[in-house]
Amino acid sequence: MLNNFVKSNGRSGGRSRERSEQETKISEQSQIRLTNLVKTYKSAAGELPALNGVDLEIYPGEFVAITGKSGAGKTTLINMITGVDRLTSGEVWVDDMPLHKMRENQLAQWRGRTMGIIYQSFHLMPSLSLLDNILLPIDLCGLYRNGESTRRAMDLLTQVELQDHAYKPPSAISGGQQQRVAIARALANDPPIIVADEPTGRLDSVTAESIFQIFLSLVEHGKTILMVTHDSNLAYRASRTLEIADGEITTSNLSYNERLN
Amino acid sequence: MMRPRWQKVLADLRGNRGRTALVIASIAVGLFAFGVIATLYLVIRQDMRGGYAAIQPANIRLRTSLIDEDMVSSIRKVAGVKDAQGARLLNLRLQKAPEEWITIELNSQKDFENSNISKLSLEEGTLNPSKRQILIDRYKLPDINAEIGDLVAVETPAGQIRQIELVGIVSDLTNGAFSGGGGFFLSPVQGYVDADTLEWLGLPLPDWYDTLYLTVEGDGMDQSQIQAVADRVRDELEDRDVSVTSLATRRTDDHPNSPYVNAISSVLLLLGLFIVFLSTFLITNTLQALLQQQVEQIGIMKTIGARRTQITVIYMMLILAFGVLAFLLAAPLTSWVSFQLMGFLVYQLNFNLLGFRIVPVVVIAQALIAIIVPQIAAFIPIWRGSRLSVQEALSGVRQGATKARQASSRGIVRFKLLSRPLLISLRNTFRSKGRMALTLVTLSLGGALFISTFNVQRSMANYIEQISQYFIGDLNVTLAYPYRVEKIEELLSPLDEVSHVEGWMTARSEILHQDSSTGDAVQLLAPPGGSQLVEPKLLAGRWLQPGDQNAIVLNELFRSTYPDLQVGDTLRLQVNGDETDWVVVGFFQFAGQSAGYMAYTNAEYLSQLVGLPGQAVLFRLVAARTDLTISEQEALGVKVQNLLERRGIQINEVEAGLSVSQTAADGFTILTAFLLFMAILAAIVGSIGLAGTMSINVMERTREIGIMRAIGSSNGILMLMVIIEGYLIGIISWALGSLLAFPISNLMSNSISLALFEASTSITYTPTGFLIWFVVVSLLSIGASVLPARKAANLTIREVLAYE
Repeated sequence: MLNNFVKSNGRSGGRSRERSEQETKISEQSQIRLTNLVKTYKSAAGELPALNGVDLEIYPGEFVAITGKSGAGKTTLINMITGVDRLTSGEVWVDDMPLHKMRENQLAQWRGRTMGIIYQSFHLMPSLSLLDNILLPIDLCGLYRNGESTRRAMDLLTQVELQDHAYKPPSAISGGQQQRVAIARALANDPPIIVADEPTGRLDSVTAESIFQIFLSLVEHGKTILMVTHDSNLAYRASRTLEIADGEITTSNLSYNERLN
Repeated sequence: MMRPRWQKVLADLRGNRGRTALVIASIAVGLFAFGVIATLYLVIRQDMRGGYAAIQPANIRLRTSLIDEDMVSSIRKVAGVKDAQGARLLNLRLQKAPEEWITIELNSQKDFENSNISKLSLEEGTLNPSKRQILIDRYKLPDINAEIGDLVAVETPAGQIRQIELVGIVSDLTNGAFSGGGGFFLSPVQGYVDADTLEWLGLPLPDWYDTLYLTVEGDGMDQSQIQAVADRVRDELEDRDVSVTSLATRRTDDHPNSPYVNAISSVLLLLGLFIVFLSTFLITNTLQALLQQQVEQIGIMKTIGARRTQITVIYMMLILAFGVLAFLLAAPLTSWVSFQLMGFLVYQLNFNLLGFRIVPVVVIAQALIAIIVPQIAAFIPIWRGSRLSVQEALSGVRQGATKARQASSRGIVRFKLLSRPLLISLRNTFRSKGRMALTLVTLSLGGALFISTFNVQRSMANYIEQISQYFIGDLNVTLAYPYRVEKIEELLSPLDEVSHVEGWMTARSEILHQDSSTGDAVQLLAPPGGSQLVEPKLLAGRWLQPGDQNAIVLNELFRSTYPDLQVGDTLRLQVNGDETDWVVVGFFQFAGQSAGYMAYTNAEYLSQLVGLPGQAVLFRLVAARTDLTISEQEALGVKVQNLLERRGIQINEVEAGLSVSQTAADGFTILTAFLLFMAILAAIVGSIGLAGTMSINVMERTREIGIMRAIGSSNGILMLMVIIEGYLIGIISWALGSLLAFPISNLMSNSISLALFEASTSITYTPTGFLIWFVVVSLLSIGASVLPARKAANLTIREVLAYE
């Protein structure tokens, strides 16, 4: 599954091929770097600290699982990395881009090209067909020509084995299928980084496993993946596991596979 | 292939048809109101002016002693005269029903078909009546229940009944042109016959004329030029020993009903502005709610790379699509409804419609409004929505909103005596304050407008009532000749049903200017000294007293035309050809410019002055029983008529007292109709606003409803909660609308009366509008809530909790 994802990438084929050759080898230059990251929410009860001076480096091709209890700060952490929320202090760098200094519009454009985001509740556009859901980020970022973008979207749907449902609305398919469409959408602009917030949280174990296999396949093709999960079995199979508690990274362990390597 | 972002726009349009219909309706109703008002305004003005000018209306009318065709020919040669035409006017009685007679004014000219002045327009039949044939004007035709080919009975001046054949129905656009404002509505049935018919009816010298119609050279738009020509013609006639009893002038484009059109236009403009204003609120409210529903999708789009401008453009295109669809709905409907209304107005305002047509200016304006207004209304919500951070958009929680929400909920929780579901309804009502405020503004203004139209109608009715206070009496009997008052009183004394009789003198006079030229006609009305049948509303000075000699009380038109004229001044009038001086003792308020110049003096003095002491033409009778209905008054009229005619008294007309105010009210029919039309539009705008708010409120809380059902709430309680919420909004808006109705009624009433009467009226408030709106708003708010409440109650818990 997803063997052709990178190869089918017409825009950055050279870069992807390089990654393919590197397989899962992790570069020495970090791709994501957080320095003394602090995020505090204001509420009626006062200030609630969500992240307390987090320092973190993630390298290209890593598959990082983020675990922790509810309210520990997992989602806040990935919201800082994807730029969907603003930090209180500190620095966030992704591929030499200072997210903490960028404006909302710059962030949106950058995110569309650099990050593929997958949510637990899928967040597909209910009024669009599956194909149009995948075409929308391509259209918004304008990286592909019209015919090329349709071929690419269809190809991505084929990769997630939903080509026969291309013109159906999201409500006509199952939760697992919707999550696969969300993954295809996240890959629409061939971003180097995929961020998934509990992508298997709403799925049964069989479907969750198939989604996880897609992630593994993506990592094999050089994508960097950050995945928030409560499932310790899945987390254990990632290349690195970060555990968060009370807004701080308490443990950063290499996974079973990495340890084997 | 269409780009996905536009696919989204299309999908949003198609996806929720109810919401799309609501938004389109909210835009279309404003476009429609504006379009109808603008079309009526432009077409009526254009067709009224154009149609009137096209018939080459007379610029000058002179009432003279009898003149022949040679005299008319010589008048044509007077400098400045373009054409002249003689006419003979004669008032007769026409039988409306077996015991009912009404006045008909016969107009005889040499040739109606080839006339060059004040041409008649043929509606049906012929324009060439032969002997014993008649043409009748369309306006009052329904009063006589006759069709082409029917014989109608008229009474000759000698008292004989003649059957005359109706051969043509015509429209005479000059009807009422020379009898003061409002003359059209008050004029009797208009008939047109040839000289042979006049002779057959017993009129001596039927080929001679008593009226001269003239057009002036040029375009006939210069009032001073028209007056100069009129003075020259009058001098010429007087040099030739022809006496001129009255002279009136009118511009070529000045249709007799233009004051009414101006009045209606001002009302329409005011109401139209209100409706468009309301519609803008409605659009803002509906679009804001629509965008509220789209917040999550905005978040998703931002997540996948959409910039703020891209999101803004996507939603502006959606709004544009709503505008275009609303335009496509409103534009054809506007033309159709406007011309349907025009069909009604053609008769009411006596103008000829120059045909159904699309008015390009209106269509262009509607298109521009359809494109621009929704964009303006939606721009702030769109811009705000597109500014939300992804986090806020996806979670639905705005930074800093928690504190305000807690504070507002705390206020509601204090009402501990209320049941929990009612408390939730109360909280829900005030939850979305912005939307609540916009809904309240829309519904309150709509309600205020609705209520105000009833107040204005009541005020106008009061005004008419006030006018009728100058003609109190159950019967008005107009005799063919002056009779001694004592004789008529004696003849009527055996009738127990009649308790009081007053003989009034009337005379026609003209204002005499300092240079001895005659001006406008003044109707002199003379009740006996100390009459109980006039209850005047004095503006200055005093009313007449018994024994007053040349004292005169003038209506308000004198004040506006001659502002220097004061109480105590002397006014010179020409009465029956004689110059007379009158001391102005007061001014009274009548019907402004719509009634022309009117003056009251004592009957004793006027009858002496005209050489008919102790005599009167007009008799006002008061019935022994008060509160007679109009049909009872008419029945009494028949009795009085039979009694007097048996004693050889010739009667011109017997009129029920209440029919005076009814006739005066005819002029307000159009206004009333329009006010009602606008009230309905206001109610529609309000109901769309409320329906939209309620459906969106319920839609937003679908998940909450699911949770309530999951924890044991019954369908009944859920429905009750939603209905109470809607009803609360309705009742609050009714209270606010009722308060707003006071200044709005005042504004509307003043605007109408200033245009019609050149005087502001005192507003009268009637509970009718308040009560009807209360019932309407109650039904409306419950109705608007029931549908979404049922929809929500019918969803299964699984469906509701899965709702996105």
